[in-house]
Amino acid sequence: MNKLIEMENVEKAYKLGETEVHALRGLDLTINKGECVSIVGPSGSGKSTLMHIIGCLDVPSFGSYNLEGRDVGEMNDNELADIRKELIGFVFQDFYLMPDVSAWYNVSLPMIYNRIPPRERKERATQLLDSVGLSQRINHFPNQLSGGERQRVTIARALANNPEIILADEPTGNLDSKTGEGIMQIFNRLHEEGKTIILVTHERYVAERALRKIHLKDGMIEFEE
Amino acid sequence: MDRGFLLESLRSALEAIKTNKLRSLLTTLGIIIGVTTVISVISVITGLKQKIATSFSSLGANVLYIQKYPWVMGGAGVDWWKIRQRKNLGMEEYKALKEYGSSFTYVAPQISNRFDVKHGDKKVDGVSVDGTTEDFPEIMNQQVKLGRFLSTDDIQYRRDVCVLGNDVATTLFPDENPVGKTVRINGRVFTVIGLLEELGELMGQSMDNVAVIPYTTMTKFTGRRRSLTITVLAEDEDEAREEIRWILRRVRRVKEDEEDDFSINSAGALTRQFNQLTRALFIIMVGIAGISLVVGGIGIMNIMLVSVTERTREIGVRKAIGAKSSEILGQFLLESIMICFVGGFIGILLGFSLTKLISLTGNIPFGMPIWAILLGFGFSFIIGVFFGFYPARKAAALNPVEALRYE
Repeated sequence: MNKLIEMENVEKAYKLGETEVHALRGLDLTINKGECVSIVGPSGSGKSTLMHIIGCLDVPSFGSYNLEGRDVGEMNDNELADIRKELIGFVFQDFYLMPDVSAWYNVSLPMIYNRIPPRERKERATQLLDSVGLSQRINHFPNQLSGGERQRVTIARALANNPEIILADEPTGNLDSKTGEGIMQIFNRLHEEGKTIILVTHERYVAERALRKIHLKDGMIEFEE
Repeated sequence: MDRGFLLESLRSALEAIKTNKLRSLLTTLGIIIGVTTVISVISVITGLKQKIATSFSSLGANVLYIQKYPWVMGGAGVDWWKIRQRKNLGMEEYKALKEYGSSFTYVAPQISNRFDVKHGDKKVDGVSVDGTTEDFPEIMNQQVKLGRFLSTDDIQYRRDVCVLGNDVATTLFPDENPVGKTVRINGRVFTVIGLLEELGELMGQSMDNVAVIPYTTMTKFTGRRRSLTITVLAEDEDEAREEIRWILRRVRRVKEDEEDDFSINSAGALTRQFNQLTRALFIIMVGIAGISLVVGGIGIMNIMLVSVTERTREIGVRKAIGAKSSEILGQFLLESIMICFVGGFIGILLGFSLTKLISLTGNIPFGMPIWAILLGFGFSFIIGVFFGFYPARKAAALNPVEALRYE
């Protein structure tokens, strides 16, 4: 199997006011290319921190993290930004769309940072929105879309630069179960297309989708199933 | 910089300005005031300079006017009382200058007065009549187009002869040659011996409403006690000035330690004085503009800091989808520059209107140099970069995890 993510003894500590919080305490994790993994655990178990580190928004305080064989811990801000741009697509619980631009513009935003020419940008954004079932909503603004539709736009945005990994943080947290089911089907399809999907969730039906479930507790992996 | 990224930053900046119209406008008030001041002061001074330059051109280049009083009184240490007590300039000074002067070719005394000029039942009011000598046309660069100018004999024998300006001639003699005819100047009969070439208008005033008579004849009207103006055509103004001072101080017996008791006026000196005045005005206004621009800049910085805080999560999202810190910096810097440009643009428009208003009401030519507009935009740009840098750097340095968590 092709190893994509390799973490060894990763620790993360940060200061919250006066107290030092150890969010991760020596975590070993390997995720192969094309896997669909869910990370579950109670709040405070460190799953958000783990997601931030996998997503290169943060770096480990200790231990090593190799992504596609490159040591993330050694990277500077610009290199981290490049990794996020090219390898990772984020799907947030609260969507985090730009309210003042249309759906297709939201999707094309990552491509702007990736220096994709305008024509190609528009083409690809349209195609991506089509693939998540929003071909009729291309020019709608986020506030004209339902929660489920917004999350689809977010997924299309995550796919904009054709990343290796889709990192979803509670992707169905703000949706009813029926809408959430629709979103999960999209993740299934993406997994079948060969993307590596990492879901952070505490919803059972979401976690069940994944072939691998990683249970976190107190900053460590409690067990895997 | 990539065009797509630039356009996106511009779009985002305009969006931010649009959503907070009133806030942006209030923020730019300082810049608006500053740029308006700079633009209108520069434009008004430019217009004034044009006006002065054309007015002075009638005084002639390299023409020195030796007079009892200076044209412009001012500056420190001017003793008005002393100036008031100066002796008149008379023929003695004129003769001394004519005899001993070597740095100038032509000297002429001049007494001017306004008189009515009549011929038959026709009359011209308030003609500017100059009493002078044969050197006058050379100094004033005036040509005679018909007949002749005054001769030394006319002067010596105090003849009642005159040379008419174009306006006077055409009014009094609409369809005949005036040379050889007579006119009445201030009730006295004069024979017309010549016509002056037309000079045209200056600042809406005709320069051809003139008549020239012998200086000696003029004294029949004015008496001999009036102070003269002695005009000199100098080759080198400074050299001539020195020589004139040297001669006149001796003729007028000015003591070694005393100041000149006469004034040597010229267009050049007047221009210099005017320039000094405008420079002082300029510095004051630039100071005012500078203060309002700095105040405006602080306003910009303040509002940009607010904007960065308000959009912390947006910054987090942008970073998550791959924006580099430098790109966030660029985006916010551009936003601050855009806000300043809006202010600068409004300032330029206001400055333009204000200058137009001043030029219409004050009869000053409208002169708004292109570089003043560029300066307005330049100021806005510099303020935008300078005061926008700190907030933009703050935005760029945000930690993506914390920015995403920000509520």
